[in-house]
Amino acid sequence: MMWIQQLWLRLQTLFGRSRTEQRLQDEVQFHVDREIAENIAAGMSAEEARHTAMRTFGNVTLVREDARQAWGWVWLEQLVEDLRFGARSLRKSPGFAAVAIMTLALGIGANTAIFSVVNAVLLRPLPYPDANRLAIIWSGLGSVNRAVASTYELFEIRQRSKEFDQIGGIWITNGTLPGEGEPEQVKVGEVTANFLPILCAQPALGRFFNAEDDAPNAAWAIVISYGVWARRFGSNPAIVGQSVRYGNGSAVIVGVLPEGFRIILPGNVPSNVDVFYSVPVNNADPGGPGWLHLIGHLRPGSTFARAQSEADAIATQIHDWDGNQNISGLRLTVLPLQADDVREVRGTLLLLFGGVGFVLLIACANVANLLLVRSTKRARETTVRAALGASQGRLIRQLLAENLLLATIGAAVALGVGWFATRAILATRPPSLVIFNDVTPDLTVLAFTMAVALLASAFFGLAPIFAIGRRDLAQTLKEGGRSTAAAPRNWSNFLVTVEIALGFVLLAGTGLLMRTFINILHVDPGFRAENVVSFQISTPKYEMLHELQKKIAVLPGVRSVSAVSHLPLVEAGNWYANYWKEGASVREQHSVMADHRSILPGYFSTVGATLLQGRDFTETDDVAHQHVAILDNVLAQELWPNEEALGKKLNVSDSPKGPYQFERDWVVVVGVVKHVQCHSLTVMVRPQIYVPFQLAPRPVSIVVLTAGTVPNLAAEARAQVGLLNKNMAVSQVVPLTEYLTRARSHSRFASLLAAALAAIALLLACIGIYGVLSYSVAQRTGEIGVRMAIGAPRWRVLRMVLGQGLKSTALGLVGGFLLSLVLMPLLAGLLFGVVASDRVNYILISGVVIGVSVLAALLPAWRATEIDPIVALRHE
Amino acid sequence: MGKPNDLVQGTLDLLILKTISLEPKHGWAIAKRIQQISGEVLQVQQGSLYPALHRLEQRAWIKAKWAESETGRQAKFYSLTAAGRTQLEKEAANWSRLSAAIDLVVETS
Repeated sequence: MMWIQQLWLRLQTLFGRSRTEQRLQDEVQFHVDREIAENIAAGMSAEEARHTAMRTFGNVTLVREDARQAWGWVWLEQLVEDLRFGARSLRKSPGFAAVAIMTLALGIGANTAIFSVVNAVLLRPLPYPDANRLAIIWSGLGSVNRAVASTYELFEIRQRSKEFDQIGGIWITNGTLPGEGEPEQVKVGEVTANFLPILCAQPALGRFFNAEDDAPNAAWAIVISYGVWARRFGSNPAIVGQSVRYGNGSAVIVGVLPEGFRIILPGNVPSNVDVFYSVPVNNADPGGPGWLHLIGHLRPGSTFARAQSEADAIATQIHDWDGNQNISGLRLTVLPLQADDVREVRGTLLLLFGGVGFVLLIACANVANLLLVRSTKRARETTVRAALGASQGRLIRQLLAENLLLATIGAAVALGVGWFATRAILATRPPSLVIFNDVTPDLTVLAFTMAVALLASAFFGLAPIFAIGRRDLAQTLKEGGRSTAAAPRNWSNFLVTVEIALGFVLLAGTGLLMRTFINILHVDPGFRAENVVSFQISTPKYEMLHELQKKIAVLPGVRSVSAVSHLPLVEAGNWYANYWKEGASVREQHSVMADHRSILPGYFSTVGATLLQGRDFTETDDVAHQHVAILDNVLAQELWPNEEALGKKLNVSDSPKGPYQFERDWVVVVGVVKHVQCHSLTVMVRPQIYVPFQLAPRPVSIVVLTAGTVPNLAAEARAQVGLLNKNMAVSQVVPLTEYLTRARSHSRFASLLAAALAAIALLLACIGIYGVLSYSVAQRTGEIGVRMAIGAPRWRVLRMVLGQGLKSTALGLVGGFLLSLVLMPLLAGLLFGVVASDRVNYILISGVVIGVSVLAALLPAWRATEIDPIVALRHE
Repeated sequence: MGKPNDLVQGTLDLLILKTISLEPKHGWAIAKRIQQISGEVLQVQQGSLYPALHRLEQRAWIKAKWAESETGRQAKFYSLTAAGRTQLEKEAANWSRLSAAIDLVVETS
C-alpha cells in the first residue's frame, strides 16, 4: 500500500503547488532566522549574525530547487513551462503558426481521409464470420479465366476437396418480391443449401436451407433479407414458416437474414440481394453451363496455397465428360475472397496512399523549413538563453515541446479536414467502392493520425536542432542575430528542392490519370446514351411487351422504343455462356464465351448501336419461324475469321436451367452489329450475341429514345405498364447517360483525388519557395541595400532573387523527373490511351512547376527591389 | 550541482531518521542535533538537508507537521512514520554491518 500513499503525497504536492512552495519558503526562512538568533546569542552583532547564517546556509534558491526536485514533478513543470512558452511564442508569430498548422492539417488530413478509405476497403475484414478463411474459386478454360463454375464442377470439386470444409455457390439474378402488394423487382440469389451458413453465422429468424428443401417434391423454400421482412411483411415474426405468393406460384419463407447482411463478391455483382432460394448440387449434367460463384471455407489449419495446389490436382481429374476427347483443360483458381473483392480498386487506393504519403512528406519538409527559418530568426534569443546557462538538452526539449504543440494543433485541425475529405471521397467514389459502405474515421485512423503527427513533429524538430548544434554563441551574438551562416540556408534550399521533386512526381501521375479520364470521356462505347431513358420490368409475356412497345412509341416526344435483357454498362445479373459454330470440336465448344442479350426489334436504332451487316430482328423472328441471332463484330471475327458470318449456324443450347429457359439449339446469323462496351469503357470483356425476345423471354429493361427531354416520361410509361398489367413492377428508371457516368466514375475518382493531392502538393511547395525567399531577402536586406546604393539596377536585384528561387526549382525538376521515371510505370494498369513515359505530359507539368515557382518567387523578389538603400544601410 | 553520492545520501538519511526517532524535530534542530551528538565532527550541509527531508517525506518514511517551536514561531516538525521506523532499523543494521566490515579491513591490514 506504500505506493498509494506515495502517489497521494506526490499528487498533493502537484496540486497544492503554491502552498507547498510557500511552506518551503517558510521552512527555510525559519532555519535562517533560528541560526541568526543563535549567532546573536553567541555574541555576534546583528549584521554579522545574519551574514554568518546566510553563509552557513549556502545558496537558498538552489536548496529550494533541490528540494523541489525531490517532489518529483520537475519534468512536468518544465514541460508545462515549455508548452506555455511555446504557445506564447506561436501567438507572437501568428502568420508562421497559421501556415505551419494549415500545412500540417492539409498533410495529415489528406492522409487520414485516404487511410480511412484504405482501412475500410483493404484492411478491415469482410463482415463475415471467419472472413480470412473464405476463398473464391474461379473456373477457367481456354482463353477464359475467372469464370463462374457449373453445378457439375462444384459437385466434383466437393467430392475431392480436403482443404475446404465447405464450398457453396451463388448466382444473383433479377426477380420479383414475394408476398402481396405492389410488384417490385429485386435481386434474387440462387444458392446451394450450404452457401448462406458460410457467410452468416445465424439467421435473424427461422433457418437456412437444408437437404430437404432440395428434394424434388419439396415446397419451394425461400430466405428473405431483413429489409424485405421489415418493409414487405411489417417485421412480423409469424411470417416465418408461412406460404406466400411468389412469382406465378407460392413459396414458404423459412428464414430471415440478419440486418445489414450483404453479398460482397468480386466484380460489380449486386450486394443487396433480397430473396434466396436453394438449388440442388449434383453431377447429372456434366456438360452444363457455368453459372455459380464458388465460395469455399478453408478447414482449420489449411492455407490458400495448399487449397490452390489441391485445386490444381482436382482440375486435372474433372471435365472428362466427353468419352472420346477427354477434355481436361479446366483450371481452378483459389483466391482469398477479400483480396479478390478489392482487386479492381486495390491498385488505385494503394497509389493514392503513396501519393498522399508524398503530400505528407512535402508538408513535413515545409514545416521543417518554416521552423528552420524561424529558428535562424530567433538565433539571438536562443543564443542568449544558451549563454545564460540553458543546456543544449533543455533547448532541444523546449523546441520539441513547441513542435509537439504545433503537431497536436495541426492534428486536431487535420481530423476536421480529414472528416470533410472523407465525405468528399465518399461522394465521388466509384460503384466498386460503394459496397464498402462504412467508411468512417475510426480508432485505427485516429491512432494513425496521431502517430503521423508525432513522427512529423520529431522529423521537423530535427532541422532547427541541427542549426542550434552548430552555432557559435559569441559569433551569433556579435552578428546581432542576423546570421548569414550558409548552413541553414542550404538546408532550406535542399528542403524546397525535395518539395519540388515530390510535387513533380505527384503532378506527373495526376497528368497521366487526367489524360486517361479525358480519353475515357471520348471512348465510343458502341451506343449513344443521350436522350435514352431506361426502366426495368419483370418478366413479361411477349404479347404484352409488344403492346407496351406500341403504346409508349406514340407518347409525345418519343422517337423509338425497344427492350433488352441487359443494359450496356450495367453489370447486374449478367448472362454469358459458351457458344459454338457448326462443326466445332469439343475443345472449341468450350473456348468461346459471349454475353447473351435478349432484345426486341428496334433495339439497335434506339440505343444508336451500328448494324454493320445484315438485318435487325422483326416481329416474326419467333419460335415458329427460323431461329435467328445477331452477333457483334468481335464474336463474328472470333468464330469465322476472314469469313462471312451471315447465314452461318451457331449453337446456343447451353443456357442454365433456371426460371428463364432458353433452349433453341441452333440459330442462324442474320446480322452483325458493332461491339457495344458492356462491362467497362476501356476493356473488351466478352463479345455479344443477341437473340429475339421471343426465343429467350426474361426480365427486360425498356429503352426509350426521345427527342430532347420529356419531363413526364417516367410517369407516363409507368401508367402504360399499369394499364397493361397492374402486377408488373417498374423499377430503375434511369437515363443511359447515368450508366455511362458510372462507368467513368472509377477513372474520375482516381484523377480527381490525384488532382486534389497534386494541388495541395503544389500549394505547399509554393509556400516553401515563398517562405525561403522572403527569409533570404530579409536576411540580405543590408547586402541588397549596398548593391543598390552602388548602382545595381532593379532588374538585376529581381533577377538575383528569382534566380536563387529557381535554382531549387531546377534541381527539383531534375530530381522529380528521375523519380518519375522510376515511379510512373506503377500507374500503367490505371492508364488508358496514354503511356507512363508520355513526353507531352512531362513537358506540360514541367511548365506548370516552373510557372508556379516563378509566381511564388515573384513577390519576395519584387519586395527586394523595393528596398530603400538608405533605410537598408541604417538597418545595419 | 551534482547529486550527493549514494554513501553520503544513504548516511544522511540514516542520521535524519535516527535523530527524529525519539521526538519530532524541525530542520534546524535536526542539523544542530547531528552536529552536537557527533561532537561537531558531522557538519550537515543545509544544501543537502532540506532536499533529503523532502525526499524522505515523499517516500512516506517521515511525516511533517507545522507546530509551535521553542521560540514560539511556527516551524515544520518531522517525525517517523511506521514505514520510516522499519527503514531506520534496516539502515541501522546495514550501517553496523558495513562499519564493522570496514573496521575489520582497516584494523587487519
